[in-house]
Amino acid sequence: MNTLVKSVIDFIVETYNSYSKSMQIFFIFLAVNIFLFMVFAIQILFWGLGYTDMNNIFAMGVWIIGDLGLVSLGGGAFFTGFFLYMLRVDKLEPIINSTVLIGFMCYLFTFVFLVFDIGQPLRAWFGYAYPNWGTHLMPQSMLTEVVFCLTFYFCVLCVELIPVVLRHKIIDAIPAFHYIGHYLHRLMWIMAAAGTFLSFFHQGSLGGGMWDVLYGKPGWFRAHHQFFFMAIVAATAGGTSFMTLCPYIAGKVMKKEVAPMETFQTLAKISGAMFIFYTTFRIYDVYTMAAKYVPSFDRNYLDIWGGYYGIWMLVFEFAACFTAIAMLNIKKFRDQEKFMVIGISSGVAAIIMSKLYVVLHGFSIPNFPWKSFAAYNPTIQEWFITTGGLCCMIAIYMIMAKWFRLFPHLDKHEHHAE
Amino acid sequence: MNTNETHVTQENKMKRRWGMAIDLDKCTGCGQCSIACAQENNLPIFEDDSDQPKRVAYLELMKVTNDRDAKYPNVEVTFIPKMCQQCEGNDPSNPKPPCVSVCPVVATDVGDDGVVSQVWSRCIGCRYCQVSCPYEARAFNWWKPRHEGSFKKSLNSDVSVMSRGTIVKCTFCSHIWKRERDKAVAQGITDINAVLYTPTCASSCPTGAIVFGDLNDPDSEVSKLSKDKRAFRLVHTIDEKPEDEKKRLMKLKDYPNPKVYYLSSRQWVRDMMRFK
Ligand code: SF4
Ligand code: SF4
Repeated sequence: MNTLVKSVIDFIVETYNSYSKSMQIFFIFLAVNIFLFMVFAIQILFWGLGYTDMNNIFAMGVWIIGDLGLVSLGGGAFFTGFFLYMLRVDKLEPIINSTVLIGFMCYLFTFVFLVFDIGQPLRAWFGYAYPNWGTHLMPQSMLTEVVFCLTFYFCVLCVELIPVVLRHKIIDAIPAFHYIGHYLHRLMWIMAAAGTFLSFFHQGSLGGGMWDVLYGKPGWFRAHHQFFFMAIVAATAGGTSFMTLCPYIAGKVMKKEVAPMETFQTLAKISGAMFIFYTTFRIYDVYTMAAKYVPSFDRNYLDIWGGYYGIWMLVFEFAACFTAIAMLNIKKFRDQEKFMVIGISSGVAAIIMSKLYVVLHGFSIPNFPWKSFAAYNPTIQEWFITTGGLCCMIAIYMIMAKWFRLFPHLDKHEHHAE
Repeated sequence: MNTNETHVTQENKMKRRWGMAIDLDKCTGCGQCSIACAQENNLPIFEDDSDQPKRVAYLELMKVTNDRDAKYPNVEVTFIPKMCQQCEGNDPSNPKPPCVSVCPVVATDVGDDGVVSQVWSRCIGCRYCQVSCPYEARAFNWWKPRHEGSFKKSLNSDVSVMSRGTIVKCTFCSHIWKRERDKAVAQGITDINAVLYTPTCASSCPTGAIVFGDLNDPDSEVSKLSKDKRAFRLVHTIDEKPEDEKKRLMKLKDYPNPKVYYLSSRQWVRDMMRFK
């Protein structure tokens, strides 16, 4: 036993030493974050949500922003899968494994954050046991729809991830695993179709439908299917940008060509096209909010922006959207790596801002005329659980990139090198 | 099926629709209602309860002034006791409070007497209902509920003690009604509409500012007060609109339509209900 522990430690130290100084600092940063994540996780799970800055007015905070962001950006997995397996855009093949892994982690950590967020984590299964169904097959509560669709889609992602794991050099050498991996891979189009179907529902319900049904709240209420579909379009636009950005950064860090430039550009182009839809939809959304929905509360659209979360959020979001549209749709820009990266980064920023808008702006609006705008300042526990979760994701991604066949494109070069 | 249940005939079908009317001109802001509510409903009592946004209270006594910058003698103050407003949505015959349809586990529901219930042993603490409530009437147990010192001895056995991480709220003291009904059944009266009751806040108010009763009964005091010209509802501006406009707006969306009415003859108090 001792020798096993010793060899594991030796292996970690050896791997750590094989990296440059800056990477070593980054590893320490990851480790500290993950450690504090575990410490504060125990505190929150055992002693409750009193340690957060959430309260009866600002009832949800950074974790729900994380959930909305992760699901929306992770939603790029279903859209990329849809293009590759259903529309046969084969140029996307080199990054599909990375896409599936990111999707898997985004959904996994959505569940993790949800467990922290609910007051009674041990009752989480009530969501399946006592769902709030309405008439027919339609769930009454949007959260019921979220719970079921997230779970099913997470299962789909697990199945999609299996071939990536089975393609590991050692595992692939075992004939049984090799064939399972091979046939699962051939069945991927079914998974992609199921994933697309399920994704449509939970993207819409978590990102939009969950908020727009709140008819007592002027920051959120609007026509149900308006915000619902806008959230789906947001996921297709921002998710694809995110799925381009992650492997791109991985390639820069690994100093290798993880996928051909053409692959990045193809996905960036899809993202750019979706951003045109999203921005148009969003302009319409702002217009209807200002002209129709907020006035139905006898309030003025501009008056519900205030406190820390002013109209600047909207300006920022649109600026990022227009940058993404320009950089990703104009061929001259997209073909230049620098501009393409600005484009996809802006795309990701736009979607993150739109989620910050939903939560921070929505909660800040006073419910009574004699009250002022509410503010929220996450505590150290909330910060480290969030950043620790993200660091776990980065660590898993790095491990998979190093030891698994995350980027099949690399094989070609390695074989050449050998 | 229980034989008693098979006797649900037309006359013992639920006729009640509980509501409340609070006369702000009578309220002195003494806080008795809020204390009585906390005692009756086993609300947790912490040594330091000054963290208001995290406090667990069903009844909040909101202090509202005419103008924050006003100086004596121009300052006017009113206290607004605010609890769950037992919303109905646009159609009272098919109540749809903002908070009920959103709950993923049916831990909150609206009864046939119009009271919105809350079952904290079912609640998973997602706080979605709290987000949906426009009246900030729901409280979350951010900390493990405590009853310091001798307060433990005064716990009410009709109300289950709440647990950490769940949402709680005012249910118009529906346990008192149940207690009254049980008493009636013991005397052989099985008509569910035979008994009336009074929630603790109403019975404890020294000035009689809070009136409780059946809104479906046109002769009840609460019914009459709800139609008084001094009556209004909290931040419910649709009430002031002309009929046509009301119809148009109600097509666009549901309105909370609360069953708690407030009364005041002071114009500034009524003006306060509107966002400028
Ligand atoms: S006041 Fe709030 S908790 Fe009460 S019924 Fe209305 S929405 Fe629900
Ligand atoms: S906090 Fe409890 S009652 Fe409220 S919606 Fe969630 S599970 Fe339902």
